[in-house]
Amino acid sequence: MRTTAISDLARPSLAKGVRLQFDSTTGESVLLYPEGIVELNETAHEILSHCDGRTLVEIVYELAKEYEADSNALAADVRDTLSDLRRRKLIEFK
Amino acid sequence: MTAPRPYALLAEITHRCPLHCPYCSNPVAASLCEAPRRRPQGGGSSNAELTTEEWRRVIREAAALGVLQIGFSGGEPLARRDLVELIRAAREAKLYTNLITSGIGLADDRVRVMRDAGLDSIQLSFQSDEASLADEIAGTRAHERKLAVAAKIRAAGIPLSLNFVIHRHNIDRLTQMIELTKALGAERVELANVQFYGWAFRNRAALLPTREQVDRARDIATAAKARLAGKIDIFYVLPDYYGTRPKPCLNGWGQRYLTVNPVGDVLPCPTASSAIPDLRFENIRTRDLDWIWRESESFNRFRGTEWMPEPCRSCPQKEIDFGGCRCQAALLTGNAANTDPVCEFSPNRSRVDAVLCHINSSTGHAPDWTYRTNPTALPVSV
Repeated sequence: MRTTAISDLARPSLAKGVRLQFDSTTGESVLLYPEGIVELNETAHEILSHCDGRTLVEIVYELAKEYEADSNALAADVRDTLSDLRRRKLIEFK
Repeated sequence: MTAPRPYALLAEITHRCPLHCPYCSNPVAASLCEAPRRRPQGGGSSNAELTTEEWRRVIREAAALGVLQIGFSGGEPLARRDLVELIRAAREAKLYTNLITSGIGLADDRVRVMRDAGLDSIQLSFQSDEASLADEIAGTRAHERKLAVAAKIRAAGIPLSLNFVIHRHNIDRLTQMIELTKALGAERVELANVQFYGWAFRNRAALLPTREQVDRARDIATAAKARLAGKIDIFYVLPDYYGTRPKPCLNGWGQRYLTVNPVGDVLPCPTASSAIPDLRFENIRTRDLDWIWRESESFNRFRGTEWMPEPCRSCPQKEIDFGGCRCQAALLTGNAANTDPVCEFSPNRSRVDAVLCHINSSTGHAPDWTYRTNPTALPVSV
Protein backbone atom coordinates (compact mmCIF):
# COMPACT_ATOMS: atom_id res chain seq x y z
CA MET A 1 0.00 0.00 0.00
CA ARG A 2 1.35 3.40 -0.93
CA THR A 3 1.47 5.96 1.84
CA THR A 4 2.84 9.43 1.66
CA ALA A 5 5.64 9.95 4.15
CA ILE A 6 4.72 11.88 7.27
CA SER A 7 7.06 14.70 8.16
CA ASP A 8 8.78 14.73 11.56
CA LEU A 9 7.31 18.15 12.11
CA ALA A 10 3.72 17.23 11.21
CA ARG A 11 1.23 17.86 14.03
CA PRO A 12 -1.43 15.14 14.00
CA SER A 13 -4.88 15.86 15.38
CA LEU A 14 -8.30 14.25 15.18
CA ALA A 15 -10.14 15.12 11.98
CA LYS A 16 -13.23 17.31 12.14
CA GLY A 17 -16.20 15.44 13.53
CA VAL A 18 -14.09 12.67 15.08
CA ARG A 19 -14.20 12.11 18.84
CA LEU A 20 -11.94 10.02 21.07
CA GLN A 21 -14.06 8.33 23.70
CA PHE A 22 -13.67 5.77 26.48
CA ASP A 23 -15.96 2.78 25.93
CA SER A 24 -17.08 1.64 29.37
CA THR A 25 -18.40 -1.66 27.99
CA THR A 26 -14.96 -2.85 26.86
CA GLY A 27 -12.68 -0.62 28.90
CA GLU A 28 -10.95 0.38 25.64
CA SER A 29 -10.93 3.60 23.66
CA VAL A 30 -12.90 4.19 20.50
CA LEU A 31 -12.99 6.80 17.78
CA LEU A 32 -16.50 7.96 16.96
CA TYR A 33 -17.40 9.70 13.70
CA PRO A 34 -20.53 10.06 11.54
CA GLU A 35 -22.02 6.57 11.13
CA GLY A 36 -18.85 4.88 12.32
CA ILE A 37 -16.91 3.51 15.27
CA VAL A 38 -13.30 2.33 15.38
CA GLU A 39 -12.10 0.34 18.37
CA LEU A 40 -8.56 1.34 19.19
CA ASN A 41 -5.79 -0.90 20.43
CA GLU A 42 -3.62 0.30 23.28
CA THR A 43 -0.87 1.56 20.98
CA ALA A 44 -3.28 3.65 18.94
CA HIS A 45 -4.88 4.99 22.11
CA GLU A 46 -1.51 6.01 23.57
CA ILE A 47 -0.47 7.73 20.36
CA LEU A 48 -3.77 9.61 19.97
CA SER A 49 -3.70 10.75 23.58
CA HIS A 50 -0.46 12.53 22.75
CA CYS A 51 -1.85 14.23 19.62
CA ASP A 52 -2.50 17.55 21.32
CA GLY A 53 -0.63 19.89 19.03
CA ARG A 54 2.76 18.23 19.42
CA THR A 55 4.86 17.29 16.39
CA LEU A 56 5.50 13.70 15.40
CA VAL A 57 9.05 13.88 16.67
CA GLU A 58 7.88 15.19 20.05
CA ILE A 59 5.25 12.45 20.33
CA VAL A 60 7.84 9.74 19.63
CA TYR A 61 10.22 11.31 22.16
CA GLU A 62 7.52 11.40 24.87
CA LEU A 63 6.37 7.84 24.23
CA ALA A 64 9.95 6.50 24.13
CA LYS A 65 10.61 8.15 27.49
CA GLU A 66 7.38 6.87 29.08
CA TYR A 67 7.81 3.31 27.87
CA GLU A 68 11.62 3.21 27.96
CA ALA A 69 11.45 2.00 24.38
CA ASP A 70 13.80 2.28 21.43
CA SER A 71 12.76 5.45 19.65
CA ASN A 72 13.59 4.19 16.15
CA ALA A 73 11.32 1.17 16.45
CA LEU A 74 8.69 3.30 18.14
CA ALA A 75 8.83 5.93 15.39
CA ALA A 76 8.01 3.25 12.82
CA ASP A 77 5.00 2.08 14.87
CA VAL A 78 3.73 5.62 15.32
CA ARG A 79 4.05 6.34 11.59
CA ASP A 80 2.23 3.13 10.68
CA THR A 81 -0.63 3.85 13.05
CA LEU A 82 -0.97 7.47 11.98
CA SER A 83 -0.82 6.54 8.28
CA ASP A 84 -3.60 4.05 8.79
CA LEU A 85 -5.75 6.59 10.64
CA ARG A 86 -5.09 9.24 8.01
CA ARG A 87 -6.06 6.85 5.23
CA ARG A 88 -9.39 6.43 7.01
CA LYS A 89 -9.69 10.23 7.35
CA LEU A 90 -9.81 9.99 11.14
CA ILE A 91 -6.84 12.26 11.71
CA GLU A 92 -5.29 15.15 9.86
CA PHE A 93 -1.92 16.90 9.99
CA LYS A 94 -1.33 20.55 10.61
CA MET B 1 -28.98 -16.78 22.85
CA THR B 2 -26.80 -14.21 24.59
CA ALA B 3 -27.35 -10.68 23.40
CA PRO B 4 -24.33 -8.73 22.17
CA ARG B 5 -23.97 -5.07 23.08
CA PRO B 6 -25.63 -2.52 20.80
CA TYR B 7 -23.60 0.31 19.28
CA ALA B 8 -26.15 2.71 17.86
CA LEU B 9 -29.63 3.96 18.65
CA LEU B 10 -31.86 5.50 16.00
CA ALA B 11 -34.22 7.84 17.82
CA GLU B 12 -37.23 8.49 15.59
CA ILE B 13 -38.56 11.27 17.74
CA THR B 14 -41.54 12.18 15.56
CA HIS B 15 -43.20 11.03 12.36
CA ARG B 16 -44.43 14.54 11.61
CA CYS B 17 -42.65 16.04 8.60
CA PRO B 18 -43.00 19.15 6.40
CA LEU B 19 -41.88 17.14 3.36
CA HIS B 20 -43.91 14.54 1.46
CA CYS B 21 -41.24 12.45 -0.26
CA PRO B 22 -42.80 9.41 -1.94
CA TYR B 23 -39.80 7.26 -0.95
CA CYS B 24 -40.20 7.79 2.78
CA SER B 25 -39.54 4.63 4.79
CA ASN B 26 -41.95 5.64 7.55
CA PRO B 27 -45.00 3.42 7.92
CA VAL B 28 -47.82 4.33 5.53
CA ALA B 29 -50.43 3.74 8.20
CA ALA B 30 -48.81 5.75 10.99
CA SER B 31 -51.27 7.14 13.46
CA LEU B 32 -48.57 8.39 15.72
CA CYS B 33 -48.45 12.09 15.62
CA GLU B 34 -49.76 13.77 18.68
CA ALA B 35 -47.16 16.13 20.02
CA PRO B 36 -46.56 15.36 23.68
CA ARG B 37 -47.81 18.71 24.90
CA ARG B 38 -51.27 17.83 23.66
CA ARG B 39 -51.46 14.69 25.73
CA PRO B 40 -54.16 14.62 28.34
CA GLN B 41 -52.73 14.74 31.84
CA GLY B 42 -52.13 11.31 33.24
CA GLY B 43 -53.54 9.79 30.09
CA GLY B 44 -50.68 7.38 29.48
CA SER B 45 -51.85 6.96 25.91
CA SER B 46 -49.57 4.69 23.93
CA ASN B 47 -50.41 6.62 20.76
CA ALA B 48 -48.82 9.88 21.83
CA GLU B 49 -45.21 10.80 21.19
CA LEU B 50 -42.80 10.19 24.02
CA THR B 51 -42.25 13.13 26.34
CA THR B 52 -38.89 14.82 26.86
CA GLU B 53 -38.47 12.97 30.15
CA GLU B 54 -39.25 9.62 28.52
CA TRP B 55 -36.64 10.26 25.81
CA ARG B 56 -34.10 11.22 28.46
CA ARG B 57 -34.69 7.86 30.09
CA VAL B 58 -34.31 6.04 26.76
CA ILE B 59 -31.00 7.83 26.16
CA ARG B 60 -29.64 6.97 29.63
CA GLU B 61 -30.70 3.34 29.30
CA ALA B 62 -29.21 3.07 25.82
CA ALA B 63 -25.85 4.41 27.03
CA ALA B 64 -25.91 1.96 29.94
CA LEU B 65 -26.49 -0.87 27.45
CA GLY B 66 -23.33 0.09 25.57
CA VAL B 67 -24.71 2.37 22.84
CA LEU B 68 -22.06 4.85 21.63
CA GLN B 69 -23.92 6.68 18.87
CA ILE B 70 -27.37 8.22 18.56
CA GLY B 71 -29.09 9.47 15.43
CA PHE B 72 -32.03 11.81 15.89
CA SER B 73 -34.36 11.19 13.00
CA GLY B 74 -38.04 11.05 12.12
CA GLY B 75 -40.12 12.32 10.33
CA GLU B 76 -38.47 15.66 10.82
CA PRO B 77 -36.74 15.79 14.21
CA LEU B 78 -36.71 19.60 14.17
CA ALA B 79 -40.49 19.43 14.57
CA ARG B 80 -39.83 18.54 18.22
CA ARG B 81 -39.33 21.73 20.22
CA ASP B 82 -37.29 19.84 22.83
CA LEU B 83 -34.67 18.62 20.35
CA VAL B 84 -31.91 20.68 21.96
CA GLU B 85 -32.71 19.21 25.35
CA LEU B 86 -32.49 15.72 23.86
CA ILE B 87 -29.14 16.53 22.22
CA ARG B 88 -27.89 17.76 25.59
CA ALA B 89 -29.05 14.55 27.27
CA ALA B 90 -27.28 12.48 24.60
CA ARG B 91 -24.07 14.43 25.08
CA GLU B 92 -24.29 14.04 28.85
CA ALA B 93 -24.54 10.29 28.25
CA LYS B 94 -21.34 10.66 26.13
CA LEU B 95 -23.08 9.54 22.93
CA TYR B 96 -21.85 10.66 19.52
CA THR B 97 -24.81 12.73 18.40
CA ASN B 98 -25.99 12.93 14.84
CA LEU B 99 -28.98 14.83 13.45
CA ILE B 100 -30.67 13.45 10.34
CA THR B 101 -32.83 16.24 8.99
CA SER B 102 -34.49 17.92 6.02
CA GLY B 103 -33.23 21.20 7.47
CA ILE B 104 -36.68 22.78 7.31
CA GLY B 105 -37.13 24.73 10.52
CA LEU B 106 -33.43 25.18 11.25
CA ALA B 107 -32.98 28.84 12.08
CA ASP B 108 -29.53 30.41 12.62
CA ASP B 109 -29.72 30.56 16.37
CA ARG B 110 -31.02 27.00 16.63
CA VAL B 111 -27.98 25.66 14.73
CA ARG B 112 -25.64 27.35 17.18
CA VAL B 113 -27.64 26.27 20.22
CA MET B 114 -27.56 22.67 19.02
CA ARG B 115 -23.81 22.87 18.39
CA ASP B 116 -23.24 24.26 21.87
CA ALA B 117 -25.44 21.52 23.33
CA GLY B 118 -22.96 19.00 21.87
CA LEU B 119 -24.29 18.05 18.43
CA ASP B 120 -21.44 16.23 16.63
CA SER B 121 -22.68 16.04 13.07
CA ILE B 122 -25.59 16.77 10.73
CA GLN B 123 -26.89 14.76 7.80
CA LEU B 124 -28.93 17.05 5.58
CA SER B 125 -31.27 15.48 3.05
CA PHE B 126 -31.56 16.73 -0.51
CA GLN B 127 -34.00 15.45 -3.11
CA SER B 128 -31.95 16.52 -6.13
CA ASP B 129 -29.34 19.11 -7.09
CA GLU B 130 -31.75 21.71 -8.43
CA ALA B 131 -34.95 23.25 -7.16
CA SER B 132 -37.61 22.28 -9.70
CA LEU B 133 -37.06 18.52 -9.55
CA ALA B 134 -36.16 18.54 -5.85
CA ASP B 135 -39.34 20.39 -4.91
CA GLU B 136 -41.45 18.14 -7.09
CA ILE B 137 -40.06 15.11 -5.24
CA ALA B 138 -40.44 16.69 -1.80
CA GLY B 139 -43.99 17.77 -2.63
CA THR B 140 -43.22 21.22 -1.27
CA ARG B 141 -40.87 24.14 -1.87
CA ALA B 142 -37.87 23.16 0.19
CA HIS B 143 -34.73 23.14 -1.95
CA GLU B 144 -33.74 26.80 -1.70
CA ARG B 145 -34.27 26.71 2.05
CA LYS B 146 -32.03 23.66 2.31
CA LEU B 147 -29.24 25.50 0.49
CA ALA B 148 -29.49 28.30 3.04
CA VAL B 149 -29.51 25.78 5.89
CA ALA B 150 -26.36 24.09 4.56
CA ALA B 151 -24.59 27.46 4.66
CA LYS B 152 -25.72 28.00 8.28
CA ILE B 153 -24.40 24.57 9.28
CA ARG B 154 -21.04 25.35 7.65
CA ALA B 155 -20.90 28.70 9.38
CA ALA B 156 -21.51 27.01 12.73
CA GLY B 157 -18.64 24.62 11.98
CA ILE B 158 -20.67 21.42 12.34
CA PRO B 159 -19.51 18.49 10.17
CA LEU B 160 -21.97 18.13 7.30
CA SER B 161 -23.05 15.15 5.26
CA LEU B 162 -25.52 15.38 2.37
CA ASN B 163 -27.99 12.52 1.99
CA PHE B 164 -29.60 11.87 -1.38
CA VAL B 165 -32.13 9.10 -1.85
CA ILE B 166 -31.65 7.90 -5.42
CA HIS B 167 -34.51 6.68 -7.61
CA ARG B 168 -35.75 6.59 -11.19
CA HIS B 169 -36.42 10.34 -11.33
CA ASN B 170 -33.09 11.67 -10.03
CA ILE B 171 -30.57 8.88 -10.67
CA ASP B 172 -29.44 10.51 -13.93
CA ARG B 173 -28.22 13.55 -11.97
CA LEU B 174 -25.58 11.85 -9.79
CA THR B 175 -22.76 13.97 -11.23
CA GLN B 176 -24.63 17.18 -10.42
CA MET B 177 -25.43 15.94 -6.90
CA ILE B 178 -21.74 15.35 -6.25
CA GLU B 179 -21.02 18.84 -7.62
CA LEU B 180 -23.56 20.29 -5.18
CA THR B 181 -21.84 18.44 -2.33
CA LYS B 182 -18.56 20.10 -3.29
CA ALA B 183 -20.15 23.50 -3.70
CA LEU B 184 -21.76 23.34 -0.25
CA GLY B 185 -18.50 22.28 1.40
CA ALA B 186 -19.82 19.03 2.86
CA GLU B 187 -17.31 16.41 4.00
CA ARG B 188 -19.44 13.45 3.10
CA VAL B 189 -22.26 12.41 0.78
CA GLU B 190 -24.58 9.44 0.82
CA LEU B 191 -26.05 8.50 -2.53
CA ALA B 192 -28.38 5.77 -1.44
CA ASN B 193 -30.60 3.98 -3.88
CA VAL B 194 -34.09 3.84 -2.48
CA GLN B 195 -34.95 0.77 -0.41
CA PHE B 196 -38.52 -0.39 -0.72
CA TYR B 197 -40.25 -0.08 2.63
CA GLY B 198 -43.10 2.10 3.85
CA TRP B 199 -44.14 4.71 1.28
CA ALA B 200 -41.36 3.62 -1.06
CA PHE B 201 -42.83 0.12 -1.24
CA ARG B 202 -46.19 1.56 -2.16
CA ASN B 203 -44.54 3.73 -4.83
CA ARG B 204 -42.11 1.12 -6.10
CA ALA B 205 -43.31 1.10 -9.72
CA ALA B 206 -42.70 4.85 -9.94
CA LEU B 207 -39.35 4.82 -8.15
CA LEU B 208 -37.41 1.77 -9.28
CA PRO B 209 -34.74 2.79 -11.82
CA THR B 210 -34.04 0.84 -14.99
CA ARG B 211 -31.02 -1.43 -15.34
CA GLU B 212 -29.44 0.99 -17.79
CA GLN B 213 -29.78 3.85 -15.28
CA VAL B 214 -28.34 1.72 -12.49
CA ASP B 215 -25.29 0.66 -14.52
CA ARG B 216 -24.53 4.23 -15.54
CA ALA B 217 -24.93 5.52 -11.97
CA ARG B 218 -22.60 2.86 -10.59
CA ASP B 219 -19.87 3.91 -13.04
CA ILE B 220 -20.30 7.58 -12.15
CA ALA B 221 -20.14 6.85 -8.42
CA THR B 222 -17.06 4.65 -8.77
CA ALA B 223 -15.21 7.27 -10.82
CA ALA B 224 -16.18 10.09 -8.44
CA LYS B 225 -15.02 8.09 -5.42
CA ALA B 226 -11.59 7.69 -6.97
CA ARG B 227 -11.43 11.30 -8.15
CA LEU B 228 -12.45 12.82 -4.82
CA ALA B 229 -10.64 10.42 -2.48
CA GLY B 230 -9.28 12.38 0.47
CA LYS B 231 -11.61 15.33 -0.27
CA ILE B 232 -15.18 14.02 0.03
CA ASP B 233 -16.27 10.65 1.37
CA ILE B 234 -18.76 9.21 -1.10
CA PHE B 235 -21.02 6.39 0.04
CA TYR B 236 -22.93 4.84 -2.81
CA VAL B 237 -25.61 2.38 -1.73
CA LEU B 238 -26.44 -0.13 -4.46
CA PRO B 239 -30.04 -0.91 -5.35
CA ASP B 240 -30.40 -4.39 -3.90
CA TYR B 241 -33.10 -5.57 -6.34
CA TYR B 242 -30.40 -5.41 -9.02
CA GLY B 243 -27.92 -7.37 -6.92
CA THR B 244 -27.54 -11.14 -6.64
CA ARG B 245 -26.75 -11.30 -2.93
CA PRO B 246 -28.70 -9.57 -0.19
CA LYS B 247 -27.42 -6.67 1.87
CA PRO B 248 -26.11 -7.59 5.35
CA CYS B 249 -29.11 -5.87 6.87
CA LEU B 250 -28.36 -4.25 10.26
CA ASN B 251 -25.23 -6.41 10.47
CA GLY B 252 -27.59 -9.03 11.80
CA TRP B 253 -30.90 -8.68 13.64
CA GLY B 254 -30.46 -7.49 17.22
CA GLN B 255 -26.67 -7.33 16.91
CA ARG B 256 -25.62 -3.68 16.72
CA TYR B 257 -28.62 -1.42 16.22
CA LEU B 258 -31.91 -0.54 17.81
CA THR B 259 -34.60 1.96 16.94
CA VAL B 260 -37.10 3.66 19.23
CA ASN B 261 -40.05 5.09 17.33
CA PRO B 262 -42.05 8.22 18.24
CA VAL B 263 -44.43 6.41 20.59
CA GLY B 264 -41.74 4.36 22.32
CA ASP B 265 -41.91 1.04 20.51
CA VAL B 266 -38.44 -0.49 20.43
CA LEU B 267 -37.62 -2.00 17.05
CA PRO B 268 -34.70 -4.08 15.79
CA CYS B 269 -35.11 -2.17 12.52
CA PRO B 270 -37.04 1.07 11.78
CA THR B 271 -39.24 -0.55 9.15
CA ALA B 272 -40.03 -3.72 11.09
CA SER B 273 -43.21 -2.44 12.73
CA SER B 274 -45.04 -2.06 9.42
CA ALA B 275 -43.29 -4.76 7.38
CA ILE B 276 -43.63 -7.61 9.88
CA PRO B 277 -47.16 -7.45 11.25
CA ASP B 278 -46.96 -10.73 13.19
CA LEU B 279 -44.11 -9.51 15.39
CA ARG B 280 -45.15 -7.78 18.60
CA PHE B 281 -42.87 -4.99 19.76
CA GLU B 282 -42.26 -3.89 23.32
CA ASN B 283 -42.67 -0.32 24.48
CA ILE B 284 -40.38 1.64 26.76
CA ARG B 285 -43.44 2.81 28.71
CA THR B 286 -43.90 -0.71 30.02
CA ARG B 287 -40.38 -2.23 29.90
CA ASP B 288 -36.84 -0.99 30.30
CA LEU B 289 -34.55 -0.94 27.29
CA ASP B 290 -32.12 -3.51 28.71
CA TRP B 291 -34.84 -6.14 29.05
CA ILE B 292 -36.24 -5.40 25.61
CA TRP B 293 -32.81 -5.68 23.97
CA ARG B 294 -31.84 -8.89 25.75
CA GLU B 295 -35.03 -10.76 26.45
CA SER B 296 -37.87 -9.68 24.15
CA GLU B 297 -39.23 -12.02 21.54
CA SER B 298 -38.99 -9.34 18.86
CA PHE B 299 -35.21 -8.94 19.32
CA ASN B 300 -34.55 -12.67 19.69
CA ARG B 301 -36.71 -14.01 16.86
CA PHE B 302 -34.05 -13.51 14.16
CA ARG B 303 -30.93 -13.12 16.30
CA GLY B 304 -27.99 -15.32 15.30
CA THR B 305 -28.36 -18.06 12.70
CA GLU B 306 -30.56 -20.67 14.43
CA TRP B 307 -33.80 -19.33 12.94
CA MET B 308 -32.55 -19.62 9.37
CA PRO B 309 -34.28 -21.82 6.82
CA GLU B 310 -32.57 -23.28 3.79
CA PRO B 311 -30.85 -22.12 1.64
CA CYS B 312 -29.38 -19.83 4.35
CA ARG B 313 -28.87 -22.53 6.96
CA SER B 314 -26.19 -24.37 4.99
CA CYS B 315 -24.86 -21.31 3.15
CA PRO B 316 -21.23 -20.26 3.71
CA GLN B 317 -22.38 -16.62 3.44
CA LYS B 318 -24.74 -16.81 6.39
CA GLU B 319 -22.39 -14.98 8.78
CA ILE B 320 -21.66 -12.39 6.08
CA ASP B 321 -25.12 -11.32 4.91
CA PHE B 322 -27.21 -12.81 7.76
CA GLY B 323 -29.84 -13.96 5.29
CA GLY B 324 -30.46 -10.37 4.15
CA CYS B 325 -33.38 -8.25 5.24
CA ARG B 326 -36.27 -9.63 7.33
CA CYS B 327 -38.57 -6.79 6.29
CA GLN B 328 -37.93 -7.42 2.61
CA ALA B 329 -38.60 -11.14 3.07
CA ALA B 330 -41.88 -10.31 4.79
CA LEU B 331 -42.97 -7.73 2.21
CA LEU B 332 -42.13 -9.85 -0.84
CA THR B 333 -42.87 -13.38 0.34
CA GLY B 334 -45.27 -12.90 3.24
CA ASN B 335 -42.89 -14.60 5.68
CA ALA B 336 -40.16 -12.67 7.50
CA ALA B 337 -38.23 -15.90 8.19
CA ASN B 338 -37.62 -16.59 4.51
CA THR B 339 -34.31 -15.91 2.80
CA ASP B 340 -34.28 -12.36 1.44
CA PRO B 341 -35.73 -12.89 -2.08
CA VAL B 342 -33.02 -10.63 -3.53
CA CYS B 343 -30.61 -13.54 -3.03
CA GLU B 344 -29.97 -15.55 -6.19
CA PHE B 345 -30.36 -18.75 -4.12
CA SER B 346 -33.77 -17.78 -2.75
CA PRO B 347 -36.62 -19.90 -4.11
CA ASN B 348 -38.52 -16.59 -4.31
CA ARG B 349 -36.00 -14.69 -6.45
CA SER B 350 -38.46 -14.86 -9.34
CA ARG B 351 -40.65 -12.34 -7.50
CA VAL B 352 -37.88 -9.74 -7.67
CA ASP B 353 -37.11 -10.64 -11.28
CA ALA B 354 -40.75 -10.17 -12.23
CA VAL B 355 -40.66 -6.63 -10.83
CA LEU B 356 -37.41 -5.86 -12.67
CA CYS B 357 -38.74 -7.35 -15.87
CA HIS B 358 -41.82 -5.14 -15.71
CA ILE B 359 -39.81 -1.96 -15.03
CA ASN B 360 -37.28 -2.67 -17.77
CA SER B 361 -39.77 -3.63 -20.45
CA SER B 362 -42.43 -0.97 -19.92
CA THR B 363 -42.23 1.96 -22.26
CA GLY B 364 -42.89 5.59 -21.66
CA HIS B 365 -43.20 7.31 -18.33
CA ALA B 366 -43.17 5.68 -14.93
CA PRO B 367 -46.52 5.87 -13.18
CA ASP B 368 -47.28 8.72 -10.80
CA TRP B 369 -46.44 8.31 -7.16
CA THR B 370 -48.47 8.90 -4.04
CA TYR B 371 -47.00 11.58 -1.84
CA ARG B 372 -46.32 10.76 1.79
CA THR B 373 -48.95 12.27 4.02
CA ASN B 374 -48.53 13.15 7.64
CA PRO B 375 -49.91 10.82 10.27
CA THR B 376 -53.47 11.77 11.07
CA ALA B 377 -54.04 13.35 14.45
CA LEU B 378 -55.73 11.14 16.97
CA PRO B 379 -58.63 12.65 18.82
CA VAL B 380 -57.60 13.59 22.31
CA SER B 381 -59.61 11.54 24.73
CA VAL B 382 -60.63 13.18 27.97
